[in-house]
Amino acid sequence: MLQIKDLKAKIDNKEILKGLNLEIKSGEVHAIMGPNGSGKSTLSNVLSGKKGYTVSGDVTYLNENLLDLEIEERAHKGIFLAFQYPLEIPGVNTNIFLKTSLNAIKKAKGEKELDAIEFLKLVKQKASELKFDEKILSRQLNVGFSGGEKKKNEILQMSILNPKLSILDETDSGLDIDALKIVSEGVNALRSKESSFLIITHYQRLLEYIKPDFVHVLINGQIVKSGGSELALELESKGYENLS
Amino acid sequence: MEQLKIDFDKVIESLKLSDENINSRKKNFNQFIENGFPNKKVEDWKFSDLNQIISSNIENLCFHSDLELSEIDETIFIDKFAHNKIVFLNGAISNIDFNYEDDTKVLLTRDLNQNENFKEVNPLVSLNNALTASYIRVTVKENYSFNKPLIIYNITTKDLKSTALNLKTDIVLEKNSSLKVINLFDDNSENNFINIVQNFDIAQDATLKNYKIDHKTNSNIKYCYNNINLEKNSISENFIFSTGSKFIKNEINCNLNDEYSSAFINGILNLTKSQHHEIKTNINHLAENTKSYQLIKSVLNDNAKGIYQGKIYVDAKAQKTNGYQLSKALLLNENTEFDGKPELEIYADDVKCSHGATSGNLDEDAIFYLMSRGLSHQQSKELLIKGFLLDAVEKITDEEIKNLIKDMMGIVE
Repeated sequence: MLQIKDLKAKIDNKEILKGLNLEIKSGEVHAIMGPNGSGKSTLSNVLSGKKGYTVSGDVTYLNENLLDLEIEERAHKGIFLAFQYPLEIPGVNTNIFLKTSLNAIKKAKGEKELDAIEFLKLVKQKASELKFDEKILSRQLNVGFSGGEKKKNEILQMSILNPKLSILDETDSGLDIDALKIVSEGVNALRSKESSFLIITHYQRLLEYIKPDFVHVLINGQIVKSGGSELALELESKGYENLS
Repeated sequence: MEQLKIDFDKVIESLKLSDENINSRKKNFNQFIENGFPNKKVEDWKFSDLNQIISSNIENLCFHSDLELSEIDETIFIDKFAHNKIVFLNGAISNIDFNYEDDTKVLLTRDLNQNENFKEVNPLVSLNNALTASYIRVTVKENYSFNKPLIIYNITTKDLKSTALNLKTDIVLEKNSSLKVINLFDDNSENNFINIVQNFDIAQDATLKNYKIDHKTNSNIKYCYNNINLEKNSISENFIFSTGSKFIKNEINCNLNDEYSSAFINGILNLTKSQHHEIKTNINHLAENTKSYQLIKSVLNDNAKGIYQGKIYVDAKAQKTNGYQLSKALLLNENTEFDGKPELEIYADDVKCSHGATSGNLDEDAIFYLMSRGLSHQQSKELLIKGFLLDAVEKITDEEIKNLIKDMMGIVE
């Protein structure tokens, strides 16, 4: 599904990613762990198309050159980024935003757009699966949401948009254990042969709930070690320092 | 100016006026002649040089119009809710309809001689005082609340060109009465100068909701002066929806004359091309425990110019005043200009007054967030802009009118 070869990314003339290689196949869950400043968020930003980076290398997604695609085209083709810090958008109703987003993607795929009733039915179902209070959805997007509500809202968007490749950027940070369980269940419910996940995290904690197929260690812009889910436990006990 | 004098004589001749009224008009006329249209050397007009704006947009401005009343195109009337109507057509009152109200509770007069509101405020108000040919006063009797809103339509037709219109309305709310009024512009004419003076006297416990809608794109130059007097425990809620005219300056002078009166002035400027709109407010806190609140949101595109000058004056008597104003502007293009001039003049010591102003471009991170959900750059921008403006629109307390304005902004819910 996704092949990354020798990916380099610079911002303000500072090189953050320094030749990263990674392959994710359909149905796989990959976790990327690494200390602060190792380039984890840069990787998720570059994959979803955020402007401001000077990027080189090859990234192939579903047999297309991903780096040639605009931000919204990547979303149309099934890439979803759950933000580490979801933005507050004053004046924009959450439900209207969700519907606009879903229909933009459906339209790009040539599928029939949902009308208001069909959409509400879908949103109700998904919200109740995530134990997410529907009332929140009539509020302004993320405005005044608690940290946990913002993260749940990201997962709700993910489950409504049903992406092929989901990138979760430190989704576990700021979540208490109950919220963490709910979010993990939401992610696990989406696991299938057709969908893949890239989970970026600091801690092993999230990986107790979402069991990855592969764990990679990102240090100083490069993947220095890869392994199975047991690598996460090893990192937890030994730390990153013994790796580099 | 020669032409102006001839036009003035024509106006006086065509109206049946008392000697007293004629004298007063002459005095006002001379005040205007001495000062002319305000230019940028006048402090209040430093961001909007009206003299220059008029001379560069209107050739041979005529101050007297003997256009015959044309047919009103009824499709321009709002059909979303039932309402009472006053229709100004090319400056003349063509239609008055208060079908939804008890006619013993609403007094109307169009007698120009009864209009005693000749105050020396500024040259434009003087010009209006001198030349007004259309006048209406609406008095709402004690304890009466209007069943339906009143829409004052200001319509111009294609026949009208390079003419100055001077319109005047007085609204009087007696004790414990209430009224919602919408001033709606429908301009089909070109290059006219429209000068509107409105006075609102709001007695004890009365509530006025006053909404101004300048929505339809047009090439007219407008000045609207509102004077609002508030008595004990009365409320004035104002909203200015400013997006249509080539130039418009909305000036509001609001006197909080007695305890527990409150004034709300919210509005949006949403401008493109070379539009130039200004909101200027003077809020005078003249008694204890009075409150004022202002929120102005502006979105400027192309080479548009927006201005908000907001002054809060607190008299030495006006302890426990609560005054607030905030202006936020989005400048979407480097050729746009926004000028903000907040002013606080405070002579009492136990008051709560604050003001704030921000201006900037759209948040790129917010655009990235929306685009990462499949929205195009354009869709993301539009959503953010509407959201930005909606903040002020949500302050409107009347649901029907709020929805009318949302509709005009293309917000679907």
